[in-house]
Amino acid sequence: MNLASFLALAAILFCIGLYGVMTKRNAVIVLFSVELMLNATNINLVAFSKYGVIPSITGQVFTLFSLVIAAAEAAVGLAILMALYRKKGTVEADKYNSLKG
Amino acid sequence: MQSINWGIMAPEITVAIAIAVAILLDLFLKRSVSRNWIGWVSLIGVAVAGSFVIYQFNLPTSGLFDGIYVLAIPNLMWKLLLLIGMALIILVSMGQKQDELGSYRGEYYYLLLLALLGGMFVVSTWDLLTIYVGLELLSIASYILVGIRKKRAVSGEAAWKYLVLGGVSSAFILYGMSFVIGLTGTTNIIDIIHLGGVPEINEIYVYLSLFLLMVGIGFKVASAPFHAWVPDVYQGAPTAVTSFLAVVSKIAVLALFTPLLLTYAALSMKAWNEVIVILIMVLAALSMLVGNAVALRQTNVKRMMAYSSIANAGYALVPFTRTDGIFIEGSMFYSSLFFYLLAYLFTTIGVFAVIQLVEQKEKSQDLKAFAGLYRRSPGLAVAMTLFIISSAGIPITAGFFGKFYIISGILSSWDNLWLVVVMLLTTVVSYYYYFSVIRQMFFRPAPSMIEVTTPKSVGFVISISCVVVILMGLLSPFLMDTFQRLFT
Repeated sequence: MNLASFLALAAILFCIGLYGVMTKRNAVIVLFSVELMLNATNINLVAFSKYGVIPSITGQVFTLFSLVIAAAEAAVGLAILMALYRKKGTVEADKYNSLKG
Repeated sequence: MQSINWGIMAPEITVAIAIAVAILLDLFLKRSVSRNWIGWVSLIGVAVAGSFVIYQFNLPTSGLFDGIYVLAIPNLMWKLLLLIGMALIILVSMGQKQDELGSYRGEYYYLLLLALLGGMFVVSTWDLLTIYVGLELLSIASYILVGIRKKRAVSGEAAWKYLVLGGVSSAFILYGMSFVIGLTGTTNIIDIIHLGGVPEINEIYVYLSLFLLMVGIGFKVASAPFHAWVPDVYQGAPTAVTSFLAVVSKIAVLALFTPLLLTYAALSMKAWNEVIVILIMVLAALSMLVGNAVALRQTNVKRMMAYSSIANAGYALVPFTRTDGIFIEGSMFYSSLFFYLLAYLFTTIGVFAVIQLVEQKEKSQDLKAFAGLYRRSPGLAVAMTLFIISSAGIPITAGFFGKFYIISGILSSWDNLWLVVVMLLTTVVSYYYYFSVIRQMFFRPAPSMIEVTTPKSVGFVISISCVVVILMGLLSPFLMDTFQRLFT
């Protein structure tokens, strides 16, 4: 296993996540896609910490922080989605369109 | 083992204590007790933190944990800007109607402080990990603040858009940072700078990382072409939170450009010369053009100010585009940037304070809500005119000198003359939409003659902002001298 394959995996996951955020209509799937993007970077960080130019533990420590932050973000995201669902009665993200000008 | 001098972290610790006290107060105070008390506690916390920061200006440059926390004049100055902005925003928030936030007023104040704490860490660190964590603390607290009016669909919708796009931009920032960590094996920017450039074969990763990071930071600082969220979020958020996003959040993210751009300059000097400066120039020019052009056809005053804030992000990026060497060489960079941001801070908070009063009275964010304001509340109308004149950058107000010093600061070489031309042209364009507010206030008949009531705290903020905007205009050479002495 070399570094390139890990980087490729992370890049593919990151792009899938970005694609999901842009195209998916279900708001929960959109949140999942954001999580996928964040987790793709975690793969990158861990791979670098083992096979990077200068291997060090830093990447893995960073991953711990980013996991916790991603969890916090998901919690807040779901809470906002719940509040929005109560008002709008739908999780279709393209129905959230009352703000425009 | 060396003992740690926690004293230099006093401002952050003060804010953290204020947050803890506010949370406990919210828990133990009776439901009937006004939550404005928590606002006062927050304000005291911010004031004490501010006085610590002012005291620290006398201390020598020092750091904690190998540069994870740095005490130096520029960092203190950024922090002072954040604290001044925060104090004014807390005062403006106290003037909100009670029913606006329902029973969430307590949460409101300590979420503001949490976001401030994130911002304070962002501006005082030279470490990628702390930058990321601070940025996320700032962002996640802001998502909740935007959506805090749970009973309104627009508020939730704005929060949703902000959260999704904010999350994507965080992922971009993290992905960009991961390549820097991969190339250097450390998160410490000072170590990265000491490490020197990367071998040429790895330069492609430096560019990749740079572009990813710029996308993320561009989102967070609300610059074009990553501005799609800005108008919606500014419109849906409570007005005080809008001014928080436009001032505190933007200034904190702007502070990040210094360490991050220096990181890339250290990784590859070639990237600096050939790509980074041009990239920032393009971001700045696009923000000015898009912000000012789209603002022309807005009829919602908060959306208009949102586009104006995009344009302001563009102006504030201009000092970073010096072509003859790294931008922080010489004191002109910091002094012109801080002068501009100080003017922007007071002007913007003043504008949003007036917007909040009119919006609460008229239940409308439309430009027409300002019709005949001069006949109804002459004082407010005159103050608003002053803020508008300052935002537009018309002489003898703070805003004019802000733009003037930015331009005179980067004209050291003629390469970026086109950027100055863009700046001047878009400023002229901006007169049109700024003056449409003045036109409404002075030359349109008022729908009713009932005075727009001004709560004391909001009135205080508006008058302070007026005084500062005028004084900064009159005393600008003196202030500039002080700044330049500070940064040499």
